Amino acid sequence: MTWLSNETVDRLRDVATRPSLPGDRYVILRPLGRGGMGAVYAARDTELARDVAIKVSNAATPTSGLEERLKQEAHVLARLEHPGIVPVHDAGVLEDGRVFYVMKLVHGETLEQHARTLATEAARLGVFERIAETVAFAHAAGVVHRDLTPSNVMAGRFGEVLVLDWGVAKLVGAAASAVPRRVPGPASAGHTDAGTRIGTPGFMAPEQASGAAAEAGPPADVFALGALLFWLLTGDTPPPDAPAVVSRLRSISPPPSRRLRAIVAKCLSPEPGARYADAGALVDDLARYRQGAPVAAHRETWLEAAALWLGRYRTFILLIVAYLVMRAVLALWGRP
Amino acid sequence: MRYASRVIPFPATHRSVLERIQSEDAGVRRIAFGDLAEAYWRPSYHYLRLHWRLAPEATEDAVQAFFTAAFEKGYVEKYDASKARFRTFLRLCLDRFVQNLQKAESAGKRGGGAAKLSLDFPGAERELVEVKSADLRDVDRFFRDETIRALFSRSVDHLRRVCESEGKPKIFAVFERHDLAPALETSYATVARDLQLTVAQVTNYLHAARKRFREIALTHLHDLVASEEEFRAEARELFGLDVGPHGAAPRNGERGE
Repeated sequence: MTWLSNETVDRLRDVATRPSLPGDRYVILRPLGRGGMGAVYAARDTELARDVAIKVSNAATPTSGLEERLKQEAHVLARLEHPGIVPVHDAGVLEDGRVFYVMKLVHGETLEQHARTLATEAARLGVFERIAETVAFAHAAGVVHRDLTPSNVMAGRFGEVLVLDWGVAKLVGAAASAVPRRVPGPASAGHTDAGTRIGTPGFMAPEQASGAAAEAGPPADVFALGALLFWLLTGDTPPPDAPAVVSRLRSISPPPSRRLRAIVAKCLSPEPGARYADAGALVDDLARYRQGAPVAAHRETWLEAAALWLGRYRTFILLIVAYLVMRAVLALWGRP
Repeated sequence: MRYASRVIPFPATHRSVLERIQSEDAGVRRIAFGDLAEAYWRPSYHYLRLHWRLAPEATEDAVQAFFTAAFEKGYVEKYDASKARFRTFLRLCLDRFVQNLQKAESAGKRGGGAAKLSLDFPGAERELVEVKSADLRDVDRFFRDETIRALFSRSVDHLRRVCESEGKPKIFAVFERHDLAPALETSYATVARDLQLTVAQVTNYLHAARKRFREIALTHLHDLVASEEEFRAEARELFGLDVGPHGAAPRNGERGE
């Protein structure tokens, strides 16, 4: 019997499931990763002379729903044209029935790796805002991601931030009714079975964790964004109770401002109705925070409001004060 | 988008080893046991040598005696698919068998006189050099990995025989050079040059060989499991697939560039 080394066994496991793509346009170069839903390969698009990534569903049974889910992901990505979302170039079915789609090959690192290079709160907030803006765009297009985690975000070589893995995304509102009927499936158009748990522990909204994934709307993504922001600030996933969230944020050095803590806490509210309605509302509040304006997440005392006002119009106030001082000096100088 | 409705092919349903072992026909049963021993003797040998730390001769005796006893005493007939996978069941039987064997030896009793299987023990012993690097803390994983190695070895031999019998030895030659034992600088071009083929032929042959290899491996696997459900679970493991409740997706991206 032929003896196979460990290396050969691993290679055979890989090559035996490598996709054989129709035609000779794409040449598989190497595997990039494998998960429960499928495998991703780096490939060469010989027609356009560029490298691409090809995601192929697992060779599963026709009833497993994986093929439909991958088709769903391709359709979701195709409708979301945004710098923070990987564009889809092509899609189809292999001769063995597996579904594939071709997308841009992302060169970069996951947020988990990238976060280590972000030394300041401002840098972390900058990256977070780009994630939130991408999700806000998806929400505006009627798409809920439902699995936002640090490993589902990549930072590119030129500072671009990309939100990946839309395989369990859900279409809501008008977008759901616009889905082609040939693309049903567990994750599409809000047809997730009752009792299904979708998401990643630590980043999953309570309504998802309790198995009501079908009811998870934009506020579920807002919760995950809050967990991501908490993770970016502390390096940990958020504790399950709200007071512990705030006290953990207070414990880091330097501690985030009260207003930023309130924004995180609002995102992480157990009740979906107490969170921001969608990522767009969160982005707006973050912009107000950055500009020093009052935020929706926190009701300021009059003292805080005054300090904010002073901070916001500091330059203008300083100019007026300088002008008044100068007038006073000139008046004194000119006195006989 | 180019979508079409297709059904993924799986090996045709046929009587597995476990079904044949329960046959009324003694001849069918004997052949089925031969198939079972062929699939599992090598993982069993490596497992006993490394986990039980038996000496080579004692391991040979134990493997021979185990498969003989499994046939004569009907171990496999006692398998309950609802409790564990067949591979795990067989390993637990092997553990119990070795424990009993050691007790019997300390009591001065030794079995003997049973018909011996023709097995390549020196070959299995030579393979230990590679197997020794495995992590033995998870014995179930170790036994599974060794079972996969044995399954792939048999599938490679099967593929070679199929290619030869169909008059297509070049297909296997391409597979051997590119996937089984590639040299450091192996590419489609170097394989094409060495075997006097075009690169397009190498691409096609390799595709055909890989596809056939997968089909053969799945057929052998199907032969060794108790149910379609177990087959699907094993097939996912065999090719590194891990389907969770909703499937964690793999990443698109090259890290750290």
